[in-house]
Amino acid sequence: MVFQPHQVFKALALTAFSLFFLNLHTSGTISKYVNPDYAWLSLCAAYLFFFLVFIQFFRLWSPKNKHSPSCQHDCHHHSRRKYISYSVLTFPLVTGFLLPPQTLNATIAAQKGAGLLLQTENKSLPSEHEEIAVARREVQQAEFDQRINALERSRVIHLTDGVFEPYYGQINADPQKYNGRTLKMTGFVFKEKSLQTNQLILSRFLITHCVADASLIGFLAEFDRAVHLKQDMWIEIEGTLAVTSYKGISIPVVNITSWKEIAEPKEPYVYPLYIKLAFTHHNASFS
Amino acid sequence: MIPSIRLHPFTITLSFTLLCTALFVFFQPFFKKEDLSSSFPSSLLQLNTIFLSILIEAIPFVLIGVFIAGFIQIFIREEQIKKWMPKNRFTAVLASCLIGACFPACECGIVPIVRRLVAKGVPIHAGVGFLLTGPLINPIVLFSTYMAFGQDMKMAGLRMGVGFIAAVLISLLIGLFFKHNQLKEQPVEQEASAIPSKIAFGVRLWGMLTHSIDEFFDMGKYLVIGAFLAAFVQTYVSAQSLLQTGGEKIPAALVMMGLAYVLSLCSEADAFIGASFRHLFPPSSILAFLIYGPMIDLKNTFMLLSVFRITFVLSLLVLITVIVFFCTNFLPFL
Repeated sequence: MVFQPHQVFKALALTAFSLFFLNLHTSGTISKYVNPDYAWLSLCAAYLFFFLVFIQFFRLWSPKNKHSPSCQHDCHHHSRRKYISYSVLTFPLVTGFLLPPQTLNATIAAQKGAGLLLQTENKSLPSEHEEIAVARREVQQAEFDQRINALERSRVIHLTDGVFEPYYGQINADPQKYNGRTLKMTGFVFKEKSLQTNQLILSRFLITHCVADASLIGFLAEFDRAVHLKQDMWIEIEGTLAVTSYKGISIPVVNITSWKEIAEPKEPYVYPLYIKLAFTHHNASFS
Repeated sequence: MIPSIRLHPFTITLSFTLLCTALFVFFQPFFKKEDLSSSFPSSLLQLNTIFLSILIEAIPFVLIGVFIAGFIQIFIREEQIKKWMPKNRFTAVLASCLIGACFPACECGIVPIVRRLVAKGVPIHAGVGFLLTGPLINPIVLFSTYMAFGQDMKMAGLRMGVGFIAAVLISLLIGLFFKHNQLKEQPVEQEASAIPSKIAFGVRLWGMLTHSIDEFFDMGKYLVIGAFLAAFVQTYVSAQSLLQTGGEKIPAALVMMGLAYVLSLCSEADAFIGASFRHLFPPSSILAFLIYGPMIDLKNTFMLLSVFRITFVLSLLVLITVIVFFCTNFLPFL
């Protein structure tokens, strides 16, 4: 029996990966990286890694001078190159264990070109976008419609995390319809260079799967004390929806009537409603 | 080949596990994450968060990919592939694109699978067809595109249809230019062969699992490098400047394709990003973004470089760019 040092390294790396994924779940930081509705995928990965660690244990010792087909990758003699490539793999583990996740902020919003959303040319939204009332047959449609109906009826529109994305879409598609209604929402302050001093964008990041695909969604807000609000500050506001024209397109604008500063919420991101509904329905049909 | 399942390593391996867990548990409190984070600039922490999130998103799919690759390696014989593969090049490409379309995969999980298939004797043009349609055409991508574009079938349908045509064209051209398998390391005689079915199933299963582990370590480093570069670009390179300088001189479709390349998004998650540029760019450019991204991106290029020769990867990159550009600009409006 021969002891195989690089197999030990692989076992260690697999263990570390398994612990890293498990740790994300036990500490709850997973929601800082991926949409919680997809978290089960990484939990599966944690268990798969654990299973692979178990398999790898039996390879720490191998019979002498016996080249089996399953070890063809390791039995070559580029050991130094191999260790360099292993250290590349451990790099994310080191930064993952040592550095805390950070919530995306206004700097990233600016890099992602969020400001462009306001600097549009005269290309109005394609008409098909507004026709949300097309015939739909999905199972979760009833619940989707129910939430949208609540939006149509209520005088005060409360943008809670669960309905942020669909309501945002509806209000942007037809701002005239919601003119004059009261809006309650939380978000962080994003001041884009092209904005006037009394303007800001009250924003949230929409995460489809992981924070790399975050896109900024937010309402233009007007408020004479906007200078006092700093970039990245989290605030809770109440205001009145109005319509303004921006380079030929009508967009909704919130005239803030009251506001207060809050700490960054536990769930800083919002997620597309359809993913949530698809998964809850999926789970319900099993239980 | 028989795994070394002996009793005596058990004592050592057990103590090894205990040591690992102990180290992890005891050292965790020492790394006060907040203290450490204050000494790092905020942008580096953002970079790290995006980098890790790409990995956390991709690794489950890569694991599935290496398991399938392990399965192909051990259980499928070259003769079987020779028998199944259509001789005609066009039918081979069409068949592989169709199989890819039925096969739900993401662009990082599919690379190890294609590598094994090509090593087993699947012709390179068929391998590319599978590589291109696998992540692009599947129910999850279709559904997310449908939802992101205001529950409208048009963009989702175009994405599937035009994407399929583009994939077939690219694979056919690859078949014209490249004859051999283009793998970086030519498969050794012994390596390419499956374990004969005479040998007990348990041993073959064991071979499959150990092979999957090796495959993960082969792929892993390239995934890490690709994810890091993609995160770096997202944090430090302004999309705004890219879009604004591009808008004037370069065709809009090329700008959007460049964006798809550097962002390296997973194909089921890029639809909302694409949709957010809807009022800035014409639909054909958005379509180019949606088709180009799943076929090739920064992260994926690195994974391909781990498998194929550099000249092949570069020609594939150029071919995809040219074909997708022409298909999205002319096809939908015929």
